[in-house]
Amino acid sequence: MPSSNAFTRRGFVTATAGAAGALAMSPLLAACGNGSSAAKGSTNTKTGLAAALPTYKPNSAANPDIPIVQGSGGAVTDAGYLTYPANPVATVSGTPGSGGTYSAVTPLWGSIPAANNAYYQAVNKALGATINMEPANGNTYNTSVTALVAGKKLPDWIQLPTWWNSTFNVGELTGSQLTDLTPYLAGDKILQYPNLAAIPTAAWSAGVWNNKLYGIPSFASGATFAGCFFYRKDLLVDKLGLSAEVKSIADFENLLKECKAANGGIGASDDLWTYLAQPYGIPEKFAVQNGKLVHKYDLPQFAEGLNWAYKVAKAGYIHPDALAGDTSNANTRFYSGKCIISSTGTGAWNLMDAQSGLAANPKYNRQAFKVFSADGTSTPTIFVEAGASIMSYLNKNLTDKQVKECLAIANYLAAPYGSAEYTLINYGVAGVDHTMTSSGPQYTDQGKKEANQDTYQFLASAASVVSNPGMDQLTKDFCAWQADAVQHAYKPVFDNANITVPARLATADTAQAVEDTIKEVYHGLKPISAFQDAVTTWKKSGGTDVIAWYQTNVYDKFGSMQ
Amino acid sequence: MAAITTGGAGPERADALAVAPDAPDARAAAGSPREGGSGARQRRRITRRARLRRDKTLLLMTIPALALVVVFNYLPMFGVITAFEFYDPLVGVMHSQFIGLDNFRQLFGDPLFWTAVENTLAISAVQLALYFPIPIMLALLLNTVVSNKIRAFVSAVIYLPHFFSWVLVISVFLQMLGGAGLLNAFLIHHHVTPWNVMTDPSTFKLLVTSQAVWKEAGWGVIVFLAALAAIDPALYEAAAADGAGRWRRMWHITLPGMRGVIVLMLVLRLGNALTVGFEQMLIQRDAVGHEAADVLDTFAFYYGIGTSNYSYGAAAGLFKSVISLLLIYGANRLAHAFGEDGLYRK
Repeated sequence: MPSSNAFTRRGFVTATAGAAGALAMSPLLAACGNGSSAAKGSTNTKTGLAAALPTYKPNSAANPDIPIVQGSGGAVTDAGYLTYPANPVATVSGTPGSGGTYSAVTPLWGSIPAANNAYYQAVNKALGATINMEPANGNTYNTSVTALVAGKKLPDWIQLPTWWNSTFNVGELTGSQLTDLTPYLAGDKILQYPNLAAIPTAAWSAGVWNNKLYGIPSFASGATFAGCFFYRKDLLVDKLGLSAEVKSIADFENLLKECKAANGGIGASDDLWTYLAQPYGIPEKFAVQNGKLVHKYDLPQFAEGLNWAYKVAKAGYIHPDALAGDTSNANTRFYSGKCIISSTGTGAWNLMDAQSGLAANPKYNRQAFKVFSADGTSTPTIFVEAGASIMSYLNKNLTDKQVKECLAIANYLAAPYGSAEYTLINYGVAGVDHTMTSSGPQYTDQGKKEANQDTYQFLASAASVVSNPGMDQLTKDFCAWQADAVQHAYKPVFDNANITVPARLATADTAQAVEDTIKEVYHGLKPISAFQDAVTTWKKSGGTDVIAWYQTNVYDKFGSMQ
Repeated sequence: MAAITTGGAGPERADALAVAPDAPDARAAAGSPREGGSGARQRRRITRRARLRRDKTLLLMTIPALALVVVFNYLPMFGVITAFEFYDPLVGVMHSQFIGLDNFRQLFGDPLFWTAVENTLAISAVQLALYFPIPIMLALLLNTVVSNKIRAFVSAVIYLPHFFSWVLVISVFLQMLGGAGLLNAFLIHHHVTPWNVMTDPSTFKLLVTSQAVWKEAGWGVIVFLAALAAIDPALYEAAAADGAGRWRRMWHITLPGMRGVIVLMLVLRLGNALTVGFEQMLIQRDAVGHEAADVLDTFAFYYGIGTSNYSYGAAAGLFKSVISLLLIYGANRLAHAFGEDGLYRK
């Protein structure tokens, strides 16, 4: 293959050699790059952001069966579909590509499909260009990409999930190795790519760095929440006869107690801490009080929530394997009923999960607790995250013509639900990867392996919709949960600001030592006082400087940007 | 990066054992009556050139291994420069800001670093006392088994765990000793207070040592078995004829015959004293917390690579390498002082 294969063994060796700093071999390393933005730090401003963002012009190929619900704080639910168009219509005429060849690296949380498989060939043919997809293991993606970055071996098109922004140092990468898309997409320029123009503005905001547009969002959603608490309805409600109406943390604790007893005294739930931010009202990073930023570690509700997590771990409500740090088997524990309650991202609630769960237990039924407040009296709140967390970028080495070809391809990939393009990208070729039934396309065995994995979708895709062909109840339940949650949503401080802290403060900003201690507290190994001690130490070794930097360089200049 | 130069975790230690078997053979050859003392005198007269010609096949055979060492151990060593820089991978090694010894100053003032050093030394000491003698004892035990079939079977069974990954080994331990494992399910069933061994920081050092024993002790036997095989059976026969019992034979023939190999392994072990198993700690860090599980390698990973503070990790790695070098040098000197070969013949 002509294009550079970033993940070939040789590529890996040179990339690692580069990362390890073999000077003699890689004069490239020193060739270019200015660390100015990294040294000083940077952020988006409200006006700068507005100038870089593209125009929003919605389109759709099918009318949703469950309409969008507008919530507070700008949150909106995803459209729900119970039907699939029998004859999908095309939204793009002709082939978008002009014969170019591009390498693309994306993370994949699943089994990697065979290279050059029938599905890839069919999609590339429809695109009129060759995209050499190189999906890489999502669980180790952060480390493999760091080596590519250091060796300046980024592929032509790469997906960088936003939760790793600071790991990949995207703020600095955008200035040196990635293409600025502002000249191609800002304002009305995007209208020549109608499917891209239909991606909501909030999602594009997450791809703006230093007031320039770099990222192309996938799975945009106006209801991106960190996650929630799930339960097995078939066990909790149907078998144990308990009520899933949780109104306070006391109710929740009571459920845990009952579940532990039902499980023969061995645990009731998986780790809960991360998502306790919702009932306890812990902000993303900062709260603003009287014009001053207050770090979440300093908020009383943080300590209160953490203390509760410590208490339930000590009481034996958290499954011992979860306490032993075995996160990879969390799903198995939930499927087998060893954990009746769990907490994870909302993305876990989908068709694939239902299929796996039903395979383990024919009565399997995953449901989520509605958002609630710890004290049971105040109104529950939940912060809505950036409009997209899957963001792809183009390499700076691409020519103007190549960038335009890639954007035309992105426009094809972002075709709306139910269109002919959407069907091909998500379900592959009819008769090979899927068969069309009355409830929608159903994967064949080959399709499950090749098409039912997020590959091209991670380069660009239309706004998220809720659709689980063959399992309408699942779609209805999920939409109902979202519709309730968006009513309690609020925008976090520094929403969509994409702040890059100066390199010298980056370590303190990560606060690894504090995060380690937090884990020990919610695993019941150390009392809450250990957390308070860790915060004191952290403040002395840079924490105070980090907070002060955010105050003077971001908040005092641009406000909370909520 | 610098840490690589001293070798890695458990598996690498076993590799060191695996290449060693030719050492006892060499000793046996040197000590055999064919050469004897005169042979040693003769060797001194051979010129370097003649020795090169004589050993060229052997030397050629080392080239692939040497190439590996150069590419993966020596070339990356240039990276230690980053320990003296505020290294930014995007700017490169050459253009990163040079900050002298700042990283080390910060390192030596970091309580977490000292906790990691303390853990490393403590785990290493426990392993030296409880792990090191076990392969020797196993080898002696296996050596007494007469039936070849039983011997082959037992060896196969004890070698096998070496080929398991750490994730697997720890999963097995979790299934047995974990809070939801066999032991505690039994205890809870019989209304005894459960003891979650896997999440108890106070016994963590013993836990990791027992895991290492379970996984690697069998593999470690190989080199000692080779040493035993090199002992001349005629010596045993002669001793037996003179009326020496089993224990006397072991004390006066077997153990002295193995002494060189034991000392060599001890020197290697001391050189690797600061490498106590990266993966093993990484996997179990969440279970017992960072204060019990952080060793120098995981410290460099979490507080260096994990927070993109590569220079800091490089500084910790370099510190470890320097101490390891001193340790191996000291141990080798000690071996020579006791009249043993150590790493090389003086």
